[in-house]
Parts: sequence; C-alpha cells; structure tokens
Amino acid sequence: MTAASAPSARSAPSAPGSTPGAPGSPGTPGTHGPAVSRWQSARFRRRVFATVIFAAMVVIAIVMLYPFWYMGDNSFRSQGQFDQQSGHSLAGWTQLFQTLPVVRELASSTIVCAAAIAVILLVATTAGFAFAKLRYRGSGLVFLLIIAAMMVPLQSIIIPEYVNLARFNLMSSYTGAILVYAALGAPFATFLMATYYRGISDELIEAAVMDGLSYERTFLRIALPLSLPAIATVTVLQFIQIWDDLLVGYLFLPTNDRTITVGLAVLSSGRTTGIPPLMAGSLVSAIPAIIVYLIFQRYLIRGLTLGMGK
Amino acid sequence: MSLTADPPVRRPRRGRLARRRRLAGFLLSVPAIVLVAALLWTPIVQAVRYSMTSWNGYSAPVWIGPSAYASAFGDPIVRRVLENNALLLLAVPFAIGIPLIIAALLHEHVRGWRFFRSVYFLPTAISWVVIGMVALQFFADRGILNQLLADVGLGSIHTDFLASEYSALAALAITFIWSMIGTNTIIFLTGMATLDPTLIEAARVDGLSRRQIFYRVELPLLTRFIQFSFVITVISAFSALFSLIFVMTGGGPGLGTTTLEFFVYQAGFAQGQFGTGALYGVILFVIMIIVGIGQLRLIRSEDGEGW
Repeated sequence: MTAASAPSARSAPSAPGSTPGAPGSPGTPGTHGPAVSRWQSARFRRRVFATVIFAAMVVIAIVMLYPFWYMGDNSFRSQGQFDQQSGHSLAGWTQLFQTLPVVRELASSTIVCAAAIAVILLVATTAGFAFAKLRYRGSGLVFLLIIAAMMVPLQSIIIPEYVNLARFNLMSSYTGAILVYAALGAPFATFLMATYYRGISDELIEAAVMDGLSYERTFLRIALPLSLPAIATVTVLQFIQIWDDLLVGYLFLPTNDRTITVGLAVLSSGRTTGIPPLMAGSLVSAIPAIIVYLIFQRYLIRGLTLGMGK
Repeated sequence: MSLTADPPVRRPRRGRLARRRRLAGFLLSVPAIVLVAALLWTPIVQAVRYSMTSWNGYSAPVWIGPSAYASAFGDPIVRRVLENNALLLLAVPFAIGIPLIIAALLHEHVRGWRFFRSVYFLPTAISWVVIGMVALQFFADRGILNQLLADVGLGSIHTDFLASEYSALAALAITFIWSMIGTNTIIFLTGMATLDPTLIEAARVDGLSRRQIFYRVELPLLTRFIQFSFVITVISAFSALFSLIFVMTGGGPGLGTTTLEFFVYQAGFAQGQFGTGALYGVILFVIMIIVGIGQLRLIRSEDGEGW
C-alpha cells in the first residue's frame, strides 16, 4: 500500500548521525552544550512517543485483521483438520461448492445490487437536483419528509411491507427486494445529492436555460455530469449496504434467487454445515465488498462525512 | 472568462421561466416521492394500524385498540426484551471511547497512519453475517478466545460466553463494539482534521501538556462529532444487529439476546403474529425517532438554508 510509505509531517526523518541542532528543528535554537543535550532528549522523547504509538497501531491492526486471516486459514481445512487445528486441504472449498449454489447466489447478489442502485440513482439525482435548484411550493416540506424517512427502521415496517409485496405478488421474483432496497437507500441518497447540487451555482443553471435548454435537459446535460463524484459515493455506499444485507433478501427473495449473504446465513443457521466451508463462503461473500472498498475507499468515507453535514 | 464581469443572473420568482422551473422541480421529484411514500411512509401507517389488532396474516384481523400497547408493556417477556436493549446501551460508551482513542493515535500522524486508517475501516465493508460467523468461532466453547487464554497460561479460565443469557448478550455487545470501530474512528478523525492547528499551538505555547490539550481544547471542539457518532451507534445497536443475532445466537439462549428488532422478526415471521410483531416495530420506531431527532437537528443547523 502506497499510503504506508507516505512521509508525514510529524515523523521527522531520522538520519543517523545527523548533527544536533540541524536547521529545521522546531525547538530550542541552542548553541551551548546543555541546550543541545536538552534538544537531543526532546527529539529522543518524540521518537519514543512515535514508536509507542506505532506499536499500538500495529496491535489494533492485528485485532481488526485477525478475522480475515482466520477465515482464510480455516477455509483450507477439512472438519478433522479444523478440530485438530493442524494441516490444510481444499476440503472446505469443495464442500462449499457442494452445499451452496455459489455462482448462482453471486449472480443474484449482483443483479439485486445493480437494479436497486439504478433505481436509487434515478430517483435521488432527479429529486436531489429539484430540491436544491428547482424549488416549488412545499418542496422544502417534501424534502424534509423524504430525508426523515431515514429514521424508519426496516424492522418497524417489515410486516406491512411483507403483506403489501405479497398482495401485489412481488415476492416471486427479484422485484420486491429490489424495490425495498431502493426505498431504504433513497432518502440518504437524495440528501447527499441535494447537498452536492447546492454547491453548483445558480448562474450556471440559469445561463443554460437562457441558452434555450429546458430545466430537465439542463439537469441531464449540465448538472448530472458535474455530480459524478456524488454518484460514485451513493453507488459505493449502497453497494456495500445491499450486498451485505440479510433481512430483506431473506424474507423477500424466493429461495432459488437468494443472494450470497442470505444463502450463507441460512446455511450457517442450519448448524449442520462444518466450519471450513462456512469460512470459505464468508470469504467469497466478503471479497467483492473488500475489492470495492479498496478501490473506492475515499468515496465511502466521503459519504460518511457528508452524513455529518460536513 | 468574461462572464465573471457580468452581473449575476437574477432568478425570477414570477413569470414564465419561474413557472417552468417550479413545474420541472415538481416533476423531477415525483419518482422519489412515490418510492418513499409507497414503501416507507405507507407501511409505517399500516404498522400502527396492525399493531392494534390481533392478526395471524391469514384470517380476518381482530381489532383490539390502543390497549394492545398497555398489555404489551405489562408482558414480562416484552420487558425482558426491552431490558436487553437497555443493556446493549452499556456498549455505547466503549463503541465511542475506543475509536476516540484510536483516532487520537492516528491523528498523531506517525509513519504509516494512512495505511492503518484503511485497515481499521476495512471491517465496515464486511457483512454482519460474516462478522457473526467468525465471532461465533471466537466465543465458542472450543473457540479462539479459550485457545488464546490457554496459550497465555490462563487455561484455568474457561469461558463459554454463548451458553448463558447475559454472557451471550455480552458476546454480542463485544462483537458490536469491534464492528463500530471503523465507522466511529473515521468520524472522529474527520472531526480532528477540522481542529484549528493555531489553537492547539497556542495552548502548547501556554504550557498545556499533550493530555491537557486533548481534554481541555480538542475534546470540547469534538462534541458535535461525538454527538453524531452517538446517534449512529445507538441506531446501529437497536436496528442493525439482526444479522448478527441471527447468525450468532438466534436470539437465545432463552431470551438472552432477543432485542426488540429481533423480536419483531420472531413474532411476525416465526410465530405468525403479525399484529404483535407490528406493535414491537412501532415501539422500535418511536425509540428511533427520539434518538434521531438529535441527528436531524445537527443536519439542519449545518444546512443554513431554512427548509
């Protein structure tokens, strides 16, 4: 990771044997003996301080990464090897592919994520632009009502949702789950897009309209391309949210169309499958999310900080 | 560009253009309104209605009325579940305090801090299902924790967290704290980045120690971020742990790890009591509103434009 080697302001490059009192030292500009030794000890203290912090960060990193190592290590075992905690084999992986339709479930995850994100982006970009730039009577109240829906916990509406989807026969395919995921993601996405569009100047919009574009086309041609970073943030946030979700997929998707996360949770709750295949399955389900995280980390962090209103 | 010299374009409030703008605004917001109204607001109204009935989902619902709530709060099982939620709140100070310390470490910007930041945030990308499965192995009778204890010569302390009610809840809480580290650390790190370095420098010149600076200067300035992470943490504790409970304990042993959100699922889908399940959901919603009002106030105060 390139970030690891990036120099930082605090950790002064420690050239061994460098002359004490070298320029650039922030502390005492002493020239006599005692002052120099005081400077040296301050520098020494700072290095000890940095080393202690570094050591603490390594320990924390081990705690945070251990589960991943554990999954990898124990997926390459048979049940017997797992019980003994010695020896490795491909048994866990072959068992996984025998017990779980991995490829089909990965495909389901992908389809559900892609479709739900498409719906979210459609409603959030248009509404976000409208609430930011094309206000109408009552638009403020409507915006408030939409973002207030962020506070509705899924569990509070899950039973009526189930009844409604059953009534409209939407649980025999992906449709029901996609709609529910889209609705759950839409409020925050709309908030995020509106925040972003507020940063675009009114002059730009009005100039385009003066040039003869309709407001709708101005949105498509001018605002939408400008908002690609915000769109990326919404996409990454929602991908991880939906890919990792259990409850909606578990209740609203037909058994044959289960996502990988749902499939894995059901397999695990059966308490009949050995640990090695479950660890292999965990890795399979985690890897796409990890890849997305590693590539789009900064969008994820931006989404979180935007949520704080920064 | 020469455009900058022009007077700013006035946005007319009246006239043909303004009318077109309002119409376009309304049309563009319709899809979001329909989606949210149909799939979030309508069901919450329905849930309130269902909650006052006795209904198994098939036969005709029987109207009970608001007294359904009175009898629910008198139910010892419901009280036990609410107690679990309250106990889960004990995890919140740890879920905030530990990331605060970690963020302070990262904020020292020692070599490699960006790498460590990425590492700490990584579990945020992972499903609760996966986290739960590893946690299950961690706390298991023959699991990682007991192995660790044996390795450091403490083999006499044999833990079996998941075997009894309160320790199982503790195991759940510990897993939850671990999972919140990434999110809360990033929140605090963002907060620390907003601190004015000249203020810190002034405090240092005034002779405050590093610790004094943290407690007297930095911490008060971070209040807003701590508030935000508090809201996020409580909301997660009460409404994001379904998968973790499902995988780790199934709500047990007994009612040991059945929180309100899991109780909704059990009542509604395991026992087929749609009315009661909806009622628990409404109680959860009310709790979330109380917690969430704080967050909304934060967002509004930052917005600056009255809506």
